[in-house]
Amino acid sequence: MSSHAATLIPSHQREVSRVAIRCVASYQAELIEPMTEALREFDLPIRGKTVLLKPNFVGPDPQNQINTHPAVVAAARECFLRLGAERVLLGDGPALERDTEAIVESMHLREYIGTLSECFVDLNLDAPRRTALRTNASPLKQLYFPETVLGADLVVSMPRMKTHHWAGVTLSLKNMFGVVPGNCYGWPKNILHWAGITRALLDINSTVRPGFAIVDGIIGMEGNGPTQGTPKQCGVLVLGDDPVAVDSTCARIMGLLPERIDYLAQAGLMLGHVKEEKIQQIGETIARVQTPFEVLRDFRKLKAPGAGFGN
Amino acid sequence: MPSTPEHVAFRGQVCLPMLTIAQNSDGGWGYQQGKQSATEPTAWALLALSSHADSREFSPVISRGKDWLRAAQLPDHSWPAFAKFSEGCWLTSLACLALHQLKDSPDAVAAGAKWLCNEWPAEGKLWRRWLLRMIAPRNRVRQNVALRGWSWTPGTSSWVEPTACTLILLHQLFSGAFPSDAERRRKLAEAMLYDRMCPGGGWNSGNAEVYGVAGQPLIGPTVWALIALQKYRERAENQSGLKWLLSTQEQIEGPGSLALAHICFQAYGIEAPSILPALRHAYEQNRFMGNILVAAACTLALDAPAGWLSWEGGR
Repeated sequence: MSSHAATLIPSHQREVSRVAIRCVASYQAELIEPMTEALREFDLPIRGKTVLLKPNFVGPDPQNQINTHPAVVAAARECFLRLGAERVLLGDGPALERDTEAIVESMHLREYIGTLSECFVDLNLDAPRRTALRTNASPLKQLYFPETVLGADLVVSMPRMKTHHWAGVTLSLKNMFGVVPGNCYGWPKNILHWAGITRALLDINSTVRPGFAIVDGIIGMEGNGPTQGTPKQCGVLVLGDDPVAVDSTCARIMGLLPERIDYLAQAGLMLGHVKEEKIQQIGETIARVQTPFEVLRDFRKLKAPGAGFGN
Repeated sequence: MPSTPEHVAFRGQVCLPMLTIAQNSDGGWGYQQGKQSATEPTAWALLALSSHADSREFSPVISRGKDWLRAAQLPDHSWPAFAKFSEGCWLTSLACLALHQLKDSPDAVAAGAKWLCNEWPAEGKLWRRWLLRMIAPRNRVRQNVALRGWSWTPGTSSWVEPTACTLILLHQLFSGAFPSDAERRRKLAEAMLYDRMCPGGGWNSGNAEVYGVAGQPLIGPTVWALIALQKYRERAENQSGLKWLLSTQEQIEGPGSLALAHICFQAYGIEAPSILPALRHAYEQNRFMGNILVAAACTLALDAPAGWLSWEGGR
């Protein structure tokens, strides 16, 4: 079940995807039970396997407003262990802040998951392995990826639900920028910007496609994300084994049209489903939890009709 | 700022053993113990070990490290991130700094510096500037792309840290008497660093302002920019950067950032509170996450100010 053996299937040949939406009022609420219950819906073959959770750790975050909340990360780790995974690692390679220890300490990650050395991998410092890209959307052709990512049986992308000042939104596909190692490409990984964010995202996700996505939408971020926006209470966790469908569902919850988000629309051709009729919702409906997010002026075109305009 | 016996003890019992134990059999260092050798941790380990007052104690370790670093230089005289890579990058400046500090391989260092002076980032090309003016929203990023420094990897944009590292190298190599090609790059790069400064003081990786919102400074880029620009220490920009760094140091959670900030204060001759209690605490909690760069930075911060971090005209 290597997450890297993702099959590129045209959308019209791909089976309907399922996405679970769970309401969670706050980070103090019970997270493990609803998350385990949702995960069981997908019957992931993880017994005895190594799972890598890939949260989104952007920078020091003492208020826990920017990064994937440590309570969600810790709950996911516990869930995968309960479901039989042999090892559950956490790893990220922040794009701008080189001091990963400062980031995880600022957000008190150790208090949620225990000793970091036992389970946390700084993907920016991991040994890299050159990997041919499975698609040629960008001119990159190959990239170095961390051994920990390539060696995991299942990569779980765990972003926070946020708007993004370059890409429109940052969700589970965009979160995969963090698996590209800084020790090869710098801080930020500027080679990806030069290759084109949309195209690089497609190549990365086709090559090291996350096999599962859990989006922390309990409190998201709107406006000038990913770091300088405004916290937005949304009260959801969104989960699924098709990261494109998960991100499309999140976009709809945020009051945005996923078809107009460039990289999502492109990903919908080969990597997963964008169209609403191809996504079966489990748990809550989008309509019940929809919470329109403010967007920067340049991204007003992403707004769904009736969702209101951002700043 | 003299080292106290406690500083010496922590350095000798924690930092230096962490470095020496982690040296690979090929002579290089990986980012963490047991990982494949790479240019950056090897250069940092060498700078830390050679700056230590009793560096002769580590002669065999340093000698093997130098061998690895020399062998890693590519035929075009640049250094790659890892020995097996075929393309050079920003780490050419750090490798040259380490060898220069060790008074080793002057020809290789000179050739590396030449490569850096000929290596231009991509953003300043005329067609690119025209394209940006045509398609980019006016307030997306505030920066003067005509001011160029150095990029992380060839063919990409200038960023603060690689620019600052190369400036530090050039100051070390030429001591104020810059050859014309280096002088041109120095002027442009210094102007670029000031252009990229965050409006409230300090630097982040290089985005001073995005969509009209002031960028938030980070410790690492601020430290490197301030060290690279120490010749202008009285300038208001330097002073506001220092002020931000001083105001932030108590909230710094990572030992690597803490050590870097301290190194910067040393370069500017600023008395700052001891970082030893915080480093000790961080080590007890996470063992520096096994990060060789952190062990090296702590070694440097707990020692007397290292010569390669300051130069004539900077003090």
